[in-house]
Amino acid sequence: MTRAYFRTGLTGLAGLLLASACALPAASADDFDPMSQVGPNPVLPEPQQYLFPPMNIAKAVGWKEGEKPTVAPGLKIEALATGLEHPRFLYVLPNGDVLVVESQGPGVEPVKRPKDLVMGLVMSIATGSGGKGGESNRVTLLRDADGDGKPETRSVFLEHLSSPFGVALVGSDLYVANTDSLMHYPYKEGDTKITDPGKPLTELPGGPIDHHWTKSLVASPDGSLLYVGVGSNSNITENGMQAEKNRAAIWEVDRATGRWRIFADGLRNPNGLTFEPTTGALWAVINERDELGPDLVPDYMTSVKDGGFYGWPYSYYGQHIDPRVQPQRPDLVAKAIMPDYALSSHVAPLGMAFNTADSLPAKYKGGAFVGEHGSWDRDKFNGYKVVFVPFKDGKPEGKAEDVVTGFLDHNLAARGRPVGVAIDKSGALLIADDVGNTVWRVTPAQQTAAVK
Amino acid sequence: MADFSPRSTARIAKHPIHPMLVPFPIACFVGALLTDIAYWRSAEMMWSNFSSWLVSAGVVLGIIAAIAGLVDFIGDRNIRKQAPAWPHVIGNLIVLIVATINMFVHTHDAWTSVVPWGLTLSAVTVVLLLFTGWMGWAMVYRHRVGVAE
Repeated sequence: MTRAYFRTGLTGLAGLLLASACALPAASADDFDPMSQVGPNPVLPEPQQYLFPPMNIAKAVGWKEGEKPTVAPGLKIEALATGLEHPRFLYVLPNGDVLVVESQGPGVEPVKRPKDLVMGLVMSIATGSGGKGGESNRVTLLRDADGDGKPETRSVFLEHLSSPFGVALVGSDLYVANTDSLMHYPYKEGDTKITDPGKPLTELPGGPIDHHWTKSLVASPDGSLLYVGVGSNSNITENGMQAEKNRAAIWEVDRATGRWRIFADGLRNPNGLTFEPTTGALWAVINERDELGPDLVPDYMTSVKDGGFYGWPYSYYGQHIDPRVQPQRPDLVAKAIMPDYALSSHVAPLGMAFNTADSLPAKYKGGAFVGEHGSWDRDKFNGYKVVFVPFKDGKPEGKAEDVVTGFLDHNLAARGRPVGVAIDKSGALLIADDVGNTVWRVTPAQQTAAVK
Repeated sequence: MADFSPRSTARIAKHPIHPMLVPFPIACFVGALLTDIAYWRSAEMMWSNFSSWLVSAGVVLGIIAAIAGLVDFIGDRNIRKQAPAWPHVIGNLIVLIVATINMFVHTHDAWTSVVPWGLTLSAVTVVLLLFTGWMGWAMVYRHRVGVAE
């Protein structure tokens, strides 16, 4: 009798293991080439869901004395400012002053599942040295009037903000996108500090939850409208569809009245909003969904069409259905637009700037620099660098190439992680590094000689 | 039938600990099956969140109950001699393995945390528990394991 029970048990166990093995494929050999997902038609493998999802995020160690990122041939990099507190976004004012937005997430995301406890632990390792616990949620002004890469003036421009990210100036009106409100401040050329408390132009979707909290901001070329990137409130609707109201979208805000509408949606986490200089089209970089495997879904950059729907959450890259979303919406999937240019999976692009200046080598003119914050849910790191995407006639043309690398050290620990990028008045590339707490400035290698 | 009761080793004031603990993981796993069914029918995330907690708590409490049970099992050869003892032990170890797999399935986001595999594993867990629970009850009510003289 004992033996009979025993056999039943073992057969049952074998059956179960077999069943679960079929349902949950083991990690495949990681021979997939991430570069096959750079460009207009990325290779998209079948979605996979893991029993033990890969989680591998570079431990933050910061830059040691004398260390700096590696640049492509013909370029040189120096720190413009160090000792910042989690710098995320850069904005260059007309007089050449650089605004550095130093920001911390609002930290209001509740623990809804045991998973959230584990994820919180992993993420805190990654951002360990991101900010030394000093004053953040402020904007620092750097003034380097003589353009030698060493600011003469450094001042706290705005402080006590609420997880700010985007900044835009229209004439004498300065706008700062906090995570929960779009603020308006008066600005005079030459100001090094704003003391005016500011007025909200409109509220933005902040807490509760506030999963993707960075609100990217850009003004339309004629200055009448503001565009705000509002990220989703979850990876893939696991906080319920109610939490996604007016999110995963780009808002268009009327600057005169504060009235707003959804300009485009289905964009999981849009950042780096900027107008392409030749066509005047609005472009953005998008962080796509996680946990469908190390090579899904590629993050991307795209021109954003008025009224366009880009898939999230129901589908990705056009009509590829995400099995995790119920109820599905075939009507929306049918009209989902395929994005213009993939940047590879989980590279986490958070900043983009078009280069129209002549300072950097000619091949960098007209295209876009993209800051890739770096992956956390694939075994092999992806991103953790600044790339350049060449453009021709307002469209990406050719493969993205590495411009600034070396954010990871030999032990694959993060000395820095790039976020926002900007072109300064001299035409140099600026990079906000929120782990290294530094703003980097990339210039042509021979420029030093020219200045002397 | 032996005319003496096999003795519990893990006990407090002659009360065996294992039967005091087992209702907790059982209630968690049965609850998880119910909340999984509720999510499957409603797609309301609240239910799948409940499932995640119930399955995880069930695994932790199940391991604690299993430790007490294994101490009894190892502590008295007369327990191991009872016909239901081995299937009870092996069956419940399978329950814990299945529930642990289920715990990881429930870490997926949204629909596929439950449908189809989370729900299936929750149902398998409960069916296995009916069998192993029956064996456990037999050990106490028929074979007098841990029953005071």
